[in-house]
Amino acid sequence: MQSEQTETANESGYLISLRNVTKRFPGVLALDNCQLDLLPGEVHALMGENGAGKSTLMKILSGVYQKDEGSIFVDGKEVDIDGPRAAQELGIGIIHQELNLMNHLSAAQNIFIGREPRGRFGMFLDEEALNRQAAAIFARMRLKLDPRTQVGELTVAKQQMVEIAKALSFDSRVLIMDEPTAALNNAEIDELFRIIRDLQTQGVGIVYISHKMDELRRISNRVTVMRDGKYIATVPTEETPIDTIIGMMVGRQLDSARPVIANAGDNKIVLEVKGLTRGHAIRDVSFQLRKGEILGFAGLMGAGRTEVARAIFGADPLEAGEIFIHGGKAVIKSPSDAVAHGIGYLSEDRKHFGLATGLDVKANVVMSSMNRFLKKGLFLDQAAIRSTAQGYVRQLAIKTPSIDQPARLLSGGNQQKIVIAKWLLRDCDILFFDEPTRGIDIGAKSEIYKLLNTLAEQGKAIVMISSELPEVLRMSHRVLVMCEGRITGELSAAEASQEKIMQLATQRPSTVAAVAAADTAATPTH
Amino acid sequence: MATTPNPLSQTTLTMTSTTDSEAGAGSLRARLFHPSTRQKLLAFASLLALVVFFSVANDNFLQIDNLVSILQSTAVNGVLAIACTFVIITAGIDLSVGTMMTFCSVMAGVFLTYWGLPIYFGIFAAIFFGALCGWTSGMLIAKLKVPPFIATLGMMMLLKGLSLVISGTKPIYFNDTPSFPQISQESLIGDLIPALPIPNAVLILFLVAIAAGVILNKTVFGRYTFALGSNEEALRLSGVKVDFWKVTVYTVSGAICGIAGLLIASRLNSAQPALGQGYELDAIAAVVIGGTSLSGGTGTILGTIIGAFIMSVLINGLRIMSVAQEWQTVVTGVIIILAVYMDILRRRRQ
Amino acid sequence: MIKRRALNIALGLSFAFGASGIAQAQEIYIPLVSKGFQHQFWQAVKAGANQAATDYKVKVTFEGPETEAMVDKQIDMLSAALAKKPQAIGFAALDSKAALPLLKKAQAAKIPVIAFDSGVDSDIPVTTTTTDNKAAAALAADKMAELIGKEGEVAVVAHDQTSRTGIDRRDGFVDRMKSAYPKIKIVSIQYGAGDQLKSTEVTKSILQAYPKLKGAFGTNEGSAIGVLNGAREMKRKVVIIGFDSGKQQKDAIRDGQMAGAITQNPVGIGYKTVEAAVKALKGEKLPKIIDTGFYWYDKSNIADPKIAAVLYD
Repeated sequence: MQSEQTETANESGYLISLRNVTKRFPGVLALDNCQLDLLPGEVHALMGENGAGKSTLMKILSGVYQKDEGSIFVDGKEVDIDGPRAAQELGIGIIHQELNLMNHLSAAQNIFIGREPRGRFGMFLDEEALNRQAAAIFARMRLKLDPRTQVGELTVAKQQMVEIAKALSFDSRVLIMDEPTAALNNAEIDELFRIIRDLQTQGVGIVYISHKMDELRRISNRVTVMRDGKYIATVPTEETPIDTIIGMMVGRQLDSARPVIANAGDNKIVLEVKGLTRGHAIRDVSFQLRKGEILGFAGLMGAGRTEVARAIFGADPLEAGEIFIHGGKAVIKSPSDAVAHGIGYLSEDRKHFGLATGLDVKANVVMSSMNRFLKKGLFLDQAAIRSTAQGYVRQLAIKTPSIDQPARLLSGGNQQKIVIAKWLLRDCDILFFDEPTRGIDIGAKSEIYKLLNTLAEQGKAIVMISSELPEVLRMSHRVLVMCEGRITGELSAAEASQEKIMQLATQRPSTVAAVAAADTAATPTH
Repeated sequence: MATTPNPLSQTTLTMTSTTDSEAGAGSLRARLFHPSTRQKLLAFASLLALVVFFSVANDNFLQIDNLVSILQSTAVNGVLAIACTFVIITAGIDLSVGTMMTFCSVMAGVFLTYWGLPIYFGIFAAIFFGALCGWTSGMLIAKLKVPPFIATLGMMMLLKGLSLVISGTKPIYFNDTPSFPQISQESLIGDLIPALPIPNAVLILFLVAIAAGVILNKTVFGRYTFALGSNEEALRLSGVKVDFWKVTVYTVSGAICGIAGLLIASRLNSAQPALGQGYELDAIAAVVIGGTSLSGGTGTILGTIIGAFIMSVLINGLRIMSVAQEWQTVVTGVIIILAVYMDILRRRRQ
Repeated sequence: MIKRRALNIALGLSFAFGASGIAQAQEIYIPLVSKGFQHQFWQAVKAGANQAATDYKVKVTFEGPETEAMVDKQIDMLSAALAKKPQAIGFAALDSKAALPLLKKAQAAKIPVIAFDSGVDSDIPVTTTTTDNKAAAALAADKMAELIGKEGEVAVVAHDQTSRTGIDRRDGFVDRMKSAYPKIKIVSIQYGAGDQLKSTEVTKSILQAYPKLKGAFGTNEGSAIGVLNGAREMKRKVVIIGFDSGKQQKDAIRDGQMAGAITQNPVGIGYKTVEAAVKALKGEKLPKIIDTGFYWYDKSNIADPKIAAVLYD
């Protein structure tokens, strides 16, 4: 089979060629001289960490964004893709992770929306022609699906098929798939791969974005790796060991001096969870957290880290599992229970879940502790509120003109500090920080890091969820890695490295063996 | 460059014809138990149950005169409800249908009585001004992005005021146009079949319903109406001009309100400028009771008609049974809450 | 799903048994279809009708649309009332022309129609029980003349110029002034649609235009309260005479802000309507108009039981 693929690949020029593509957003260089080639009949995997630039590059190819510099060639000719329609007309189709379907309409109606076959007077619809044409596409995909089925009643897998059919109906010769198997079970993945192979034989080229190593072994011909917005390399899948690919994904120069972190191994266990479970999101998670420790939670997006934190915080329910705080069993059914037990949670999305952006700084600081600022049980003690807020502004060096400043006007870093102040005021012993420095500039980041270290020294127990590997390595005493709802490994500060973390983050329980087998087969000498 | 086969040139399956765009998968059995068919049957069954109940409870209910009276009292609300159905399917709402109807009847009065034009000008005026008002609402909502609730609330007050201003707060009588009351009150059917003195208003209601049903289910416009309510963003990303079609929906709805204006004006042989506010709630109630969801994407004209009849049968039956007037509105309110609750349950199950 | 149907039926049944829904064939049934329902005035009419029902041992129902603009809803009510095959029917038309076909049907079925309050503009009703609005307004004119010393400027704030009551009350007042009190000048007649707010604004503009105004007459409850408010906001002392009653007017009369008012006899209207129906069914000949009476009331007699009985809150 391999020789067939190489024959098709060498036969003609590239379907798509991107050269020196650069894209800037305010304050950040999202893509820096990236390139990508796609051969007809090829499945070309695009890999990289969260934020590496894969989605941005594909959005440029599909016309959602416009590049700032660089060239795009289709069939050897340079083109200008100025919008989604232009991309469609060039034969480039994209299947997003979030499906763009109208659930109340049928599969056929969705596929041909805006291009319906018309009947009389050009006003009436020709439903028969519509269904016939849709059936034809399904036949080409060898897909058993009645075109009249309402999309809302289909499984996610079948809905994806409808999206693929829609892309095909535009005579797409290039198909971009973004995490297509995220919501599919094994049988459905097999079906998807069959369709992909069929499309390959028809000369369609596919760009396949995914984190799942074992899938890429199965389906892709070549892999392109991106990192921090840059193009790293393109390698043939079969001949390249997984570790090499991981190395390319994370292989960046780390900050020179890593602070020496004292092991918190002998301190008391403040929080212990056993067997936390909720469906597929959280699968039998157990760990311990010690006083004065910063426990890093690493993993890819969707691995389940936020879910675990929210479950412990009582924001979401649990199907099974126990939580022990300071050795005693804790029943947590809501955030107020959690807060009463001394747990605080700083969510990833500050603006929506951490701050009341319409209110001012002082109101946000006292938000979780209002009952301590009441006079006669009913009225707010404004003087006490003001002095407390002032105290935190000083203590945490929050840059704000005054404590009456609306919170939404502060910079990201200072907003984060307000949220931290809120929880400190609540005297929480256990703090969950979910992506604490997301969207914060370098200068403010190190301030937050200093703050976290200070809190740990003061004896707080901290769980830091982060997708930024350098940050995890810099701050954590220990690192727990999650993948698809399970904890796949634990590393001490000394043994942790980006490669090891990424390996654990991409391990899928059912296919660890398959990966290992493929690796030993691929590498000639070891 | 390797050529790829045109996917549209391969036809390996022949499809049996489909008649209804909401048909479920394949077999008749599956389609019969499809949720949307189930809900239509449920609404119809409820209507039947009410009719049976009131017939048994009081002999006077099932008389020809009374049944004709029920038909007559449903005509105006039914037409308004049909107008609302289009808008609600797009997940929008139109609070102005009541006062828009009045405004259209006033404009018919202006054309026929103030300006003494022949009857067809009056009919044209009502429908034209209805479409114009609808178009205005649509533009506010689609182009200026005013939320439908607010935009149509504003239109409701605007049109109420305009009706009073133009008419000088007095009713406009149609005595100069003797054929005008015939639109509602004469009976073409009764001329053909003397035993069925069904007023023309009812005939017009059913004609409008049939036309609306065809438009909704068989035309591109109807398809986009559903699409707008189902996932407007997906529709936009598919390259369809969402703003244009939204405006068209409200314009069509307005024109239908114009027809309602003709019906009520010819029933009373006058344009009553103070009337109309509050009628929109009855119309929306009929739509909801008939099974159309306020969250959009789904709905049927048949359901709306059944909903309108459920309301009028209910009120009439309670009147015949001499249930005190205060209680009549209590019962209607309870039915509406139940209908909306059913809708929520249904959506949660999906 | 079945739940909804069952609920439908259950509700209907419970109300059926709650109200005396199942008609008893032998009893005389007289439905009254009124111009309104919610206002206290109509509730008083209803009370009078119910009283007569008890006295004459007949069955009476009372209904009316929510606003006086809902002509079509009143027609639906009239239609349903006729469908119940009543022995007689009471009716106060919002739009006489619109009701004509149904009234003709009643006449053909030999069901006597008793018009009440503003009545029906047609020959079909066998009688109309109503207030003689012209005479009532003339009495108001007499009292006004008395209170301002038979000379000076006065104004009228009327509720409308198209309904019977509006026209009659305005004309009654104006004609009486013209014929009996030549030294009194009616400087302004304005219309406030019976709406308190509008009538207030209207009164204020009248007071602004006529600094020497001595008195103002409001032709119904809403207009009268508007006159009160207007005078108070402009801080002017004028003689105010109102019409009908209601808590605000009664309070104003008690504490002196309003000189007095003319009240109809809404309870009497309801009572006499049912009574007239009963008489018609017995074959008695009835006069064209049955005057249900009106009274002048002020601080001195507001507590008198005879007066109190016809006042409503």
